[in-house]
Amino acid sequence: MKKSKDALVLLLAGGVGSRLNILVGHRAKPAVPFAGLYRIIDFSLSNVMNSGLTRVGVLTQYKPLSLMRHVGTGDAWDFTGRTRGVKILPPRTGEQDSDWYKGTADAIRQNIDFIQANPADEVVILSGDHIYHMDFDAMITYHRHKKADVTIGMMVVPKSQIHQFGAGITDSDNRIIDWEEKPKEPRTNLASMGIYVFKTSYLLEALSHDRRESDFGMHILPRAIGNDRVFAYPFYGYWRDVGTIQAFWEANMDVIRPDAEISPEKWGIRTNTEADGRPMDRAPARFFNGSRVCCSMISAGCIIEGVVENSVLSPGVVVEKGAVVRDSVIFEDSVIRSGAVVDLVICDKRVEIGAGAVIGSGDKATVANKAYPTHLYTGITLIGKKAFLPAGITVGRNCVVAPNFDGRNMPAPLEIADGLSA
Amino acid sequence: MFKPTTLAMILAGGRVDELGVLTCYRPKAAVPFGGFARVIDFPLSNLMQSGIELIAILSQYRSYSLINHIGTGAAWDMIGRYRGISILPPFKDYESPHWYRGSADAVYQNFDFIKYHDPKEILILSGDHIYHMDYRDLIQYHNEKNADLTAAFIRVPATETHRFGVADIDDEDPQGGRLLSYHEKPQRSDSIWASQTVYCFKPETLYRVLEENQQSDSYEFGRDIIPMLMERNARVYGYKFDGYWGYTRTIEEYWQTSMDLLGAEPKINMEEWGLRTNLEHRGIRDCQPLKVEDNAEIDNSLIYNGCIIDGTVRNSILFPGVHVEKGARVTDSVLFFNTVVGKNSRLNRVICDVNTTFGCNVRVGSGNSAEKQGNISVFGWNNQVPDNIQIGSGCTVYPGMTVASWPRGPIGDGEVLR
Repeated sequence: MKKSKDALVLLLAGGVGSRLNILVGHRAKPAVPFAGLYRIIDFSLSNVMNSGLTRVGVLTQYKPLSLMRHVGTGDAWDFTGRTRGVKILPPRTGEQDSDWYKGTADAIRQNIDFIQANPADEVVILSGDHIYHMDFDAMITYHRHKKADVTIGMMVVPKSQIHQFGAGITDSDNRIIDWEEKPKEPRTNLASMGIYVFKTSYLLEALSHDRRESDFGMHILPRAIGNDRVFAYPFYGYWRDVGTIQAFWEANMDVIRPDAEISPEKWGIRTNTEADGRPMDRAPARFFNGSRVCCSMISAGCIIEGVVENSVLSPGVVVEKGAVVRDSVIFEDSVIRSGAVVDLVICDKRVEIGAGAVIGSGDKATVANKAYPTHLYTGITLIGKKAFLPAGITVGRNCVVAPNFDGRNMPAPLEIADGLSA
Repeated sequence: MFKPTTLAMILAGGRVDELGVLTCYRPKAAVPFGGFARVIDFPLSNLMQSGIELIAILSQYRSYSLINHIGTGAAWDMIGRYRGISILPPFKDYESPHWYRGSADAVYQNFDFIKYHDPKEILILSGDHIYHMDYRDLIQYHNEKNADLTAAFIRVPATETHRFGVADIDDEDPQGGRLLSYHEKPQRSDSIWASQTVYCFKPETLYRVLEENQQSDSYEFGRDIIPMLMERNARVYGYKFDGYWGYTRTIEEYWQTSMDLLGAEPKINMEEWGLRTNLEHRGIRDCQPLKVEDNAEIDNSLIYNGCIIDGTVRNSILFPGVHVEKGARVTDSVLFFNTVVGKNSRLNRVICDVNTTFGCNVRVGSGNSAEKQGNISVFGWNNQVPDNIQIGSGCTVYPGMTVASWPRGPIGDGEVLR
């Protein structure tokens, strides 16, 4: 039984997430598929469900269609019922501002009417793009126990990574006494996970100061720390921001490790089985004679005749005879034709890789992608949704093949060299 | 105004003794099949795809599992203004204090339900066959012929005809013709057309014959109703079906039909057939993808989400939540939900019901496929099989045996434990 009264949850799901490159060409970051059957936002929504919270607003902005379809009625996370509900909150035109959301705090500010219409003692603010398992009920109890105005979920990260986060310096009572947003020279290794519990009255007051204060980490929190009771809620489990291609790939690989720290099933993560593609309405995965699979996750509806190693396959992926898929993440209904080799690749939905093609060839992971050197530099090659790669093509490392790429009439030689895009 | 005109009734009342321990706690229609589904999902999915939207399920034996499985009917898109699945259990009233006394009696007892919906055709199906059929073709043929009854028939080997209702069908049309004769389970027969127990009735005819049949003391469609209609020269037609038809009436048949899911060209293609099941039942929607670990070897098998495989799986069908631990080997077997196969155990030709745990180093069946294959061994649900035990082929283990209740020493071929 949950202990705390229902808090209101606001889930920030509007960011572009452009560092995920073509994976967010058609969809918002929280709607990117993850671990075969799931989408990234399933982790936040399921945590909310498993914490016993029942009223949720999802703030959308960038390419929300796929996300809206996925959230649907909210039934998948038990958000339907008399007092339960999940609402999509897109930006809207007001009497004076017809502005897009300018930042995290601004997005919440533009939905103050939603907060007022759903009275609660606390508002929980989450991001829709993290992979983790957390009990917000315990966090709310902690928040009340500390009589805090704001409680921030925080975890220890290596000092080398702290520059990506908001960092908090705490006293012996876990009260945050100083704050650094994305510090170059960190004084602490305690990083903000972007998970906040606000006393509702305090939140409304804090947002009313100055409309130009658009971001929690930059504006709202530093002032709150100076004047009010802000506490760190320490978190010790698995938590990843999968906002980059590298982090996204690594988190997928974390799921298949023998000693996996992520276990969507044990964590009680649910997805919307009614959404497009109906990912669960598939027959069991079929393994033919001669298939070889190890260290992988294979979803229902896959058909495996070839070799799959260290990879995560979404429903309906076909790996034909003699094909090899290694260290890769393949989304729904992609087809790897016979004899093709797919090595260190993230492949979006409904891609076809022709017979004998080699995707991820050679070992020159050192040539970063020319167009996006900060996105692709460790050797991962990205294939966009519905791309068609002709038989016999060779694609190198750190390449990007655009969505809907049609290689049918590609001139010889059939090659996309390391670091190039098509 | 659009309203459904066909009422489908699925006979899902019975348990079959031959399926033994698999039907200790569920009717045969709710027996798991195909690595994630239940037998009744086949007729239900056929109905959904045939656009038939008004369904009644006649259920009597241990109906809880079935009721649970049907849920709201949403899994087969059967909720809506006129769409729906009704479960019709037996009931008592002043006139009829009986259980369902047979398939025809079950339908008779629900006349008020049928008349309330006032269908143009009544389609009567069994809940225990594996097939893919578009009932609209049969209904259309039925209407074209203005038939009293149209029944579906399939060709079977001459050696098998004694197990079925067998008919001579006139060569009127490519899709069928008038029934010239009909015999239920004949000793010998020249015809090879066997009834699939798929019936389309004209409602007035059905009302009349079932009413009359109440005077009798046997109430089966195959044994009593069709012969009665033939005797009266009613318009009885045979519709010839030429797709796949799988039985699940005995353990051997169940196993064989399951094996038809496998191979390079499987005879049953659930994906193509558009098979749907209720993902809420047993929470299979909450399963993560199948996890294949370091030491896994998988050949010619079907494995659903939620399984964890670190051993060898060959020619087998694994339902959600099955664990095959390191060094274990599962061959020619069907393992239902949440079966655990402990380290270095070997299962050969096993059908195992849900929540059964095999310890380490267990041997079931003759492990060597080169030898003559033994019979299938069947394990009921919630069994705990102790470490290091040897079990022969063709054994039957009743549900719910704990480690302490097992005999010491090996279990010989064909033994029954309870």
